[in-house]
Amino acid sequence: MREIGRLVLVLVVICSVSAGALAWVRDALALRIEQQSDFYVRGPALERLFGRPAAQLLNNKVMVDMGGVSYPVFFTRENGEVSGLAVEAPGHGGYAGDIVIMIGLDRARNQMLGVEIVSHGETPGVGAQVEKEAFRQQWQGLSANEATALRGEGGAIDAITGATFSSRAMVDGTNQVTALIKEHQEEILALIAAIPDQAGPEVLP
Amino acid sequence: MNFRQALTHGFWRDLPPFRLVLGLCPSLAVTSAAENGLGMGLAVTFVLVFSNMFISLLRKVIPDKVRIASYIVVIATLVVLVEMVMKAFFFPLSQKLGIYIPLIVVNCIILGRAEAFAARNPVLISMADGISVGLGFTISLGLVGSLREILGSGTWFGMSVFGESFEPFGLMVQAPGAFLCLGILLGLMNAWSRRRGEIFIQT
Repeated sequence: MREIGRLVLVLVVICSVSAGALAWVRDALALRIEQQSDFYVRGPALERLFGRPAAQLLNNKVMVDMGGVSYPVFFTRENGEVSGLAVEAPGHGGYAGDIVIMIGLDRARNQMLGVEIVSHGETPGVGAQVEKEAFRQQWQGLSANEATALRGEGGAIDAITGATFSSRAMVDGTNQVTALIKEHQEEILALIAAIPDQAGPEVLP
Repeated sequence: MNFRQALTHGFWRDLPPFRLVLGLCPSLAVTSAAENGLGMGLAVTFVLVFSNMFISLLRKVIPDKVRIASYIVVIATLVVLVEMVMKAFFFPLSQKLGIYIPLIVVNCIILGRAEAFAARNPVLISMADGISVGLGFTISLGLVGSLREILGSGTWFGMSVFGESFEPFGLMVQAPGAFLCLGILLGLMNAWSRRRGEIFIQT
C-alpha cells in the first residue's frame, strides 16, 4: 500500500506543479497572443472580407458572450449605418478540437461575404484543406440567417473528400454564427452603437 | 561519459537525426525552408535541455514504475510552454510549424535522452547532453532545410541566391525532396565514417 501511495503522490505533485506553471504562463501571455493573432490572422482576414485596411477594421470590435465565452464581432460602417459584420465562432467537431472561423456578413443584402479561418489544429494535407480558397468560396452569398449543412445532409456545402469531420466543423461554426445573428442581432447593434464613429467620413475602397 | 564528451557527442557521434535515426518525422516534415528547420531545432533544444534538467533533478524522487508517465508530463509541459511562447513572440513561425510543435511531445529524441541519460546522471552533465544533442539536431535540420530551400526555391532564409534566371528544382520542397535530401546526406555521412574506420551502427 505504501508503495502505491508514493507512486500516486509523485504523479499528483508533478502534474499539479505542471498545471500551475502552465496556467500562470497562459495568463501572462494571453494578451500578447491575442494581439499577435489580431495582427497576423484577424487583420488580413478582415481585409479580405471587407476590402479595407486592417488597422481601421481591427478597432471596430465588440465582444459578445456565447455560452460563457466571449467572442469578438467586428463591424464596418457606411454613412453612420452598420454595413458589415464579421462574427467569430468555434466550429465544434473538428478532428483536433474546434476550428475557429470568422464569417463576414453583408447587412444590406443579408448575405455572407465569405468565411475565414482564425485557428485550427487539423492534419496538414487532410483536414487542413478547409483553409483552401476553393472550399471557402462556397460561403459567398449564403443567407446570413439560415442554417446550412453539407450537401449530403441537405445543405449547400460540398465537403472535402477525406475531411468530412473538418468540413462539418466549419458548417457547425457557420450555424453558430447564423443562430447568433438571429437571436442577438439587436444586442450586437446596441453594443456597436455605443462605440462612436471615430473614423469620420470613411474612405470607400 | 565525461562532461566534455557530453557536450560534444551530439555534434557527430550521436548526431540526430542522422546518427540516432530518431526524430525523423519533424526532420522530414518541417524542413522545406531553412528558417522552419532552425525554428523547429531550437524549440526541440529548449525542451531537451530543460526536460533533461528536471528529469535529472527528479531522478531519485520518481519511482521506477511511473517514470515514463512522469517524463511525459514534464516533456508535455515544456512543449506547451514553448508553443505559447512561440505564439506570443514568433507568431508567423508558429503558424508555419503548426501541428509539429505539439508533436515534439512524442519526439523520440527527447524521451530517449531522458531515459538513456538524464535518468542516470547529475544535473549539469544532463543539461550539457541536452545542449549538444539539441544543437546537433538544430544544425542538421538547418542543413536539410537550407539544401531544400536553396535547390527547391532558389532562396536561403528568404533571400534570393541565384538571381532571376534560376529555375527552382520544385521537387525538393515537396515531401519526396525531404527523403532524397535526408537519404543522400545519411549515405555521405556513412561513407565518410566507413573510410575513417568509425563504427557507425548504433547498438
